[in-house]
Amino acid sequence: MQINFGGDFTVKKPIEEVYSFLTDANQFCPLLPDFKSMKKEDERHFVVTVRVGVSHIRGDAKLKMELLETQSPSRAVYQGKGDVLGGTATLTAGFNLEKAGAGTKVIWKGESQIVGRMASLAGGLLEPLAKKNVEKLIQGLQNALE
Amino acid sequence: MKKRSLAKKVEPKRGSKAAKNLPVKNVRTKRGAESHTHEMRWVGKPLQRREETRLVQGKGTFVDDNRFEGMLHIKMVRSPYAHARVTRVDVTAATAAPGVVCTLTGAEVATLVKPFPEIGPEQGQKIVDLPMGVEKVRYQGEPVAAVVAESAMQAEDAAELVEVDYEPLSPVMDCEAAIKDESILHESAGTNRNWHGNFEYGNVDKAFAKAAHVVEIDRLHFHRFSSTPLENNAVIAEWNLKEERVNFWTNNSFPAFAAQFLSPALGVRIDQMRMQSIDIGGGFGIKITNYPYMALCALASRKMGGRPVKWIETRTEHMLASAHGNERTFLKTRVALDASGVITAIESTHVDDCGAYPRYEPLGCIIWAQVLPGAYRIKNMRIDFSQTVTNKCPVGPNRGYSRMQHLWFLERVMDICGHALGISNDLIRERNYIRKEEFPYTTPNGCVYDSGNYSKMLRIAKQLVGYDEWLTKQKAARAEGRMLGIGIGTTLDSGTNNFGQARIINAFAPYSGQSKAANVKLDIYGEVVVFLGSVPQGQGHETTAAQVVAEVLQIPPEMIHVRPGFDSDQNVYTGHTGTYASQFAVSGLSAIHGAAMKLHAQLAKLAAFAMKAKEKDLEFGVGEQGPEVRVKGAKKSMNYWALANLVYVNNAELPQSFEDITLNCRHVYKAPFTVPDIKRKYGNLTLTYAAQLHLAVIEIDRETYQPKILAYAAVDDCGRAINPLIVEGQVHGCAAHGIGAALMEDCRYGPDGDMLASTFSDYTPITAMNMPDLLYGYLETPSPFSYNGAKGMGEGGAAPVHTICAALQDALYPSGIIIGDSHNTGDSIFQAVTNAKRGAATTNVKHESRRKAS
Repeated sequence: MQINFGGDFTVKKPIEEVYSFLTDANQFCPLLPDFKSMKKEDERHFVVTVRVGVSHIRGDAKLKMELLETQSPSRAVYQGKGDVLGGTATLTAGFNLEKAGAGTKVIWKGESQIVGRMASLAGGLLEPLAKKNVEKLIQGLQNALE
Repeated sequence: MKKRSLAKKVEPKRGSKAAKNLPVKNVRTKRGAESHTHEMRWVGKPLQRREETRLVQGKGTFVDDNRFEGMLHIKMVRSPYAHARVTRVDVTAATAAPGVVCTLTGAEVATLVKPFPEIGPEQGQKIVDLPMGVEKVRYQGEPVAAVVAESAMQAEDAAELVEVDYEPLSPVMDCEAAIKDESILHESAGTNRNWHGNFEYGNVDKAFAKAAHVVEIDRLHFHRFSSTPLENNAVIAEWNLKEERVNFWTNNSFPAFAAQFLSPALGVRIDQMRMQSIDIGGGFGIKITNYPYMALCALASRKMGGRPVKWIETRTEHMLASAHGNERTFLKTRVALDASGVITAIESTHVDDCGAYPRYEPLGCIIWAQVLPGAYRIKNMRIDFSQTVTNKCPVGPNRGYSRMQHLWFLERVMDICGHALGISNDLIRERNYIRKEEFPYTTPNGCVYDSGNYSKMLRIAKQLVGYDEWLTKQKAARAEGRMLGIGIGTTLDSGTNNFGQARIINAFAPYSGQSKAANVKLDIYGEVVVFLGSVPQGQGHETTAAQVVAEVLQIPPEMIHVRPGFDSDQNVYTGHTGTYASQFAVSGLSAIHGAAMKLHAQLAKLAAFAMKAKEKDLEFGVGEQGPEVRVKGAKKSMNYWALANLVYVNNAELPQSFEDITLNCRHVYKAPFTVPDIKRKYGNLTLTYAAQLHLAVIEIDRETYQPKILAYAAVDDCGRAINPLIVEGQVHGCAAHGIGAALMEDCRYGPDGDMLASTFSDYTPITAMNMPDLLYGYLETPSPFSYNGAKGMGEGGAAPVHTICAALQDALYPSGIIIGDSHNTGDSIFQAVTNAKRGAATTNVKHESRRKAS
């Protein structure tokens, strides 16, 4: 099943600082909901372990993340893929940055595709859960960038 | 399950005193082989199933009961994608896990086996079917790797460490999309259309030109469901390197067929494979296609030097990746009728969905034609039939295979036309049924229906439920705005199939006819032992085999020892050996009867010699010292031990002319078939036609739209019943299966190819709690084509699916709703009502009346 999400928010920090934050995996990844750990392979590739679950179906998921696209200071795109509880999830998340006075407007857009056992067993629950997690991520970003 | 049989009100209960007073019907085959000239003592009696004691006491031998020294366990790593390229498989971490002894990957498997043979012609032959996905996966759950470990738990843990990268492809999720070939599953075939053929009989255009009414139905859809047996698939394989033999313990229900697929794939001769299917915990056809897993276990065993490898499928694996029943869509249907509602012609386009790999298919593209006109006198038919592959679980020959989809279509046509013309559902059937005096009835495509009386079955069903009273109640209910419907489903259970129909699919298919083999022997100590050569899964073969042999030898069935299960090293068998196509009572028992008759003849010759009597003066029975042959009217007898002793131990006393007396008698029954006319698609495709007629009264709740069965009757005609108790049990079973399919069970998929019913919580198989009270009736119209008058039964033709759809339509027709899908729930009925209000019905019907034309 495919889940699409997107929105925008404005923060007080300048665009260069926001871009720098978003493209630094050490700063960005801990904001992922239920983050457990991260192993950096190189500047653009890293493996993130997060705790995932729906109801009683719970476990750790390792997401292979790649900082796929960067255009300093206006754009960053992450792509991730991982095996989640007998299924597979792919994730693409892009951030477009615009100056908003002294601050920055962050326009974010993403899509996730989940296939396999998780989608079969809990498909109906995934969309609201994903929405909740995305909200947590964005809230975390806003807090970090304020 | 509550049971309230009113059969005695209609016919004397089988085996009852009243039934005993009925005249015994002499049955003669066309070949004049045998007639019953005496009252049956054992055949036709409702004896308790002898298998039950063994099985309920835990004495059965199922695959998982086997524990062998050094046995390993295999776990499949399965694709979460329905359609994707496999770009990387890494088993490094899994190989290092505790207990793991080896792994298999698709790439490796591709070097170890040849693709399984394909039955289909042309493009079908180009499909490459391997037991594992190699460069590509084509359904969710397809194996891409396997891990073999010392324990099942270790294999399961390690399987999670296998890393697989996929490149998702656009999934093809229905046959209408598949036929457009926008996304191709098998590039080597170049198309998703696995088979196509035109079936035209009579003069369709002339019938439409003369029609008084023409009814058009744009789309009907028969959904996917399965048999969901209690025991999932299971395999143990041992590749004995020293003996160069592969030993299989499986629950495959057609081992002779599996062997023909495994032998070329594994590169071993068929005699190098030992196939053992002993006790099977249900199946109804879908275990026929578990041979890819047999191949994987065999390869793993060979890799590990011949250690046995066990695979026990989990329920989710079974739902995802074993086999489902075929899904079929019926498009652009046109029906011609005369002024009285008699159907004179049907033309339609049918597209069957066989899932990702054909395997037993495209045989289903012809098997439906065994029942081309259903129970009706339809002379002119034009069916454009295609089968496509889709990114779903491959199909298997699920109970009532291929015929039930077609029979459901015909029953929908009957009800839709009835409603369109304002003719009641019983009357339109009465006007169209083949009449009892027309049997044996030759269908437009050359099939010969042996016997039947469908009108009488309808009368019995009506009497069982109190039809007239329900009509009155229905009228009152409708006046109150309640949705109450009465539905009738007439279905056929064609049995003992002619494999020659495979030639219509592929002229080069090396199959035709039908045969079964059996062995009956008197062993060295005078015990009668029967080797079935069949693969029962609850059909009571041991019991009925004992009844038949007992009848021939005139000894109680308890004195007949029937060896359960199939073992290719012990049983006699043919290439048709297996349990499928509702045929054991005809082909299986004919083989057993033939072998028993041979033993009877040998015993008679032996006894006549030993007692210096004439064979005509002998009689068989039980004496003080057990089963014996005696001289009528004289105090001379020999028990079986003494007769066996003469052959096995004390045989110097026998003259040379007795060298052919072995007391070990094999008989092969060959059904009287010829190869069909391939060009005309014409010929007798099956030997017998049992029938079931079901009648249901259903009310749809006005708040929840949940349908509730208020009354249900099932009437069976399987010809002469060998064991009426087993017959009634099979009718109950098929009723449960069909009611579940109609109202609960659906192998549904999401648009991305996620199987949405991969657990029983989601699939909701029917249980005893969901069953209505079942009223059971029967009729016996003996087949003239079987030695015993039996017609075979057990598949049931999905009668409840037809019946429940008919009742739902009857309830909803006043709201302008046509039931166009075989699966209906409270949700879908609510949607149908909502859609109808918006003018967006999923099935549209047009009725053109040309009364003057008639």
